[in-house]
Amino acid sequence: MASVTLNQIGKSYGAVTAVEEFDLEIADGEFLVLLGPSGCGKSTTLRMIAGLESITTGELSIGGVRVNETDPKDRGVAMVFQNYALYPHKTVFDNMAMGLKLQKMPKAEIEKRVNDVSDLLGLNDYLMRKPAALSGGQRQRVAIGRAIVRTPEVFLFDEPLSNLDAKLRVKMRMELQELHKRIGVTSIYVTHDQVEAMTLADRIVILNGGKVAQIGTPRDVYDNPETEFVAGFIGSPAMNFLSAEAAQDGWKITGTDLTLPRPQGLGDACEVATLGIRPEHIEVLEDGDASDPWVFKAMVKLDELLGADALLNLSVHGQELLVRVDGTDFPQAGAKVRIRIDPNRVHGFDPATGLALSRASI
Amino acid sequence: MTHRPRYVLYTLVGLSVFISFFPIVWLILTSFKNTAGIYAWPPQYWPSPFTFDNYTSIFTNSPELLRYILNSFIVGLGCTIVTLGCGGIAAYALSRLGLRFAGMLMVGILAVSMFPPVSLLPSLFQNFLQLGLLNTYTGLILAHAGLFLPFSVWMLASYFATLPVEIEEAARMDGMGFIRIFLTIVLPLSWPGFVATGLIVFIFSWNEFPLSLVLMTQNAMRTAPVGISLYPGEYAFPWETISTATVLAIIPVLIITAIFQKQIVGGLTAGAGK
Repeated sequence: MASVTLNQIGKSYGAVTAVEEFDLEIADGEFLVLLGPSGCGKSTTLRMIAGLESITTGELSIGGVRVNETDPKDRGVAMVFQNYALYPHKTVFDNMAMGLKLQKMPKAEIEKRVNDVSDLLGLNDYLMRKPAALSGGQRQRVAIGRAIVRTPEVFLFDEPLSNLDAKLRVKMRMELQELHKRIGVTSIYVTHDQVEAMTLADRIVILNGGKVAQIGTPRDVYDNPETEFVAGFIGSPAMNFLSAEAAQDGWKITGTDLTLPRPQGLGDACEVATLGIRPEHIEVLEDGDASDPWVFKAMVKLDELLGADALLNLSVHGQELLVRVDGTDFPQAGAKVRIRIDPNRVHGFDPATGLALSRASI
Repeated sequence: MTHRPRYVLYTLVGLSVFISFFPIVWLILTSFKNTAGIYAWPPQYWPSPFTFDNYTSIFTNSPELLRYILNSFIVGLGCTIVTLGCGGIAAYALSRLGLRFAGMLMVGILAVSMFPPVSLLPSLFQNFLQLGLLNTYTGLILAHAGLFLPFSVWMLASYFATLPVEIEEAARMDGMGFIRIFLTIVLPLSWPGFVATGLIVFIFSWNEFPLSLVLMTQNAMRTAPVGISLYPGEYAFPWETISTATVLAIIPVLIITAIFQKQIVGGLTAGAGK
């Protein structure tokens, strides 16, 4: 096992920058997730660590040793690909044993290792089959097995669950979590799925347009998004964004009759701001306290039952807001309600830079 | 949906089948006619009398025919092997190794193949004469391979492009080098592409005429199409011999096609990806 250090790592193709230089220290045994929309540079970053892509600038070290120029096989990393990338003409056993055979490991040792791993992953009955005879989940398990038998210092996962159907994805996600707990190898995991990121990660690196937007624990990026992009990307359904101008009595929401009080110290010096409120941080009240400045009258325009939850599309003085409520009993479309916004969970962003307005700078 | 477009489709298919098969059917029928039947007017459609004489006498009429077919076979096989070997390596390098000018090279290869072979003949003849390659299998194999290499490079490159690149990357992570990846991963997975390309190249070579005519001047070295085309003598046009020999020359190609068509199985990569 080893730590991984990215020191000002960057990638460009000619004049096009794919990944802007950034620093990252991945601790030994950490599960790190690279998260972002497609084309954000997350896969490129992973492939640079794997050695499948050359590094334009910066230094990459694994276990304290610089590996920029090292061959993929000598980096002590193993990778699981999105489309499994198994050798279709080889059996499951041979697929897993290939790397060890190439290391010229004795046959008995190879057999022992492959059998141990297939035990761990429940692949014992399939060792002599070809990948074509396996289901998607089994194939991905073989791909993971192929990575584990090599006892790498670092695991690299490139969207390993995206090809699976929703149900299997949840199952495999839990298996991965358990596996990481059991073998505890440093893991770097690329995904565009925020649920995978939130559930698996010790820390998440959120990338956007080749730039690192934020690095933090799942709780951190959810509670304290540093940019508007992160705020909108993390959380489902996405955060409500309201463009606001400073007015005498608070934030006047542009194009509506809605005025919000200024949350304590949030962007006091700003003339304009983008306010962000998560759908789960708005409460629908039976009968709100009219004297509370954070209680507003609203009208339900649309209600969607998701099962445990329901989403309400509200109109609040002309401003549309998405609210997440309990699915057992909720007001239907057309109902007039009151809502309360949690002032402590209102986020503010600079519309020009997209950076979060700090609450500390009161 | 109406049924009208179907009829149109069937009519067109029938028409194209008729047009492409008519000469072959006519050829086969001719080979079963006697001389009177061949020159009969109005033309005889069904051979009458229906005779196998042409087939029993073909080797007395044309003792060299087996030799011609053997020559064609040797040249075709050699050309296929050289073309697939060189073409496979070139196509893999051009399509997968991220060479800088790969795209330009591919277009260049295509452009070179645009020259009509006849325009190459004089200089090719000169060079082969000096190198002593006239009337040798090596010579014609090289000439044919040169002619059909561009085709095979393009064909194989497009086949390689269908293989998921991740399999090769996984192999790199497992510790294989490019040559090993090519031999142990790419080759087994591209088997159908190689069979299809090889089959077409073999047929091309089998049918090739101008180079075979000029580069093989000794009767014993002639290929089937050239040899058969030289049957017409000064006074006679021996249709019965020509048609019979041609039918016999088609048969090996038919057999090879029949054998290898079974090998052209898609779905060999099934299970690699999603």
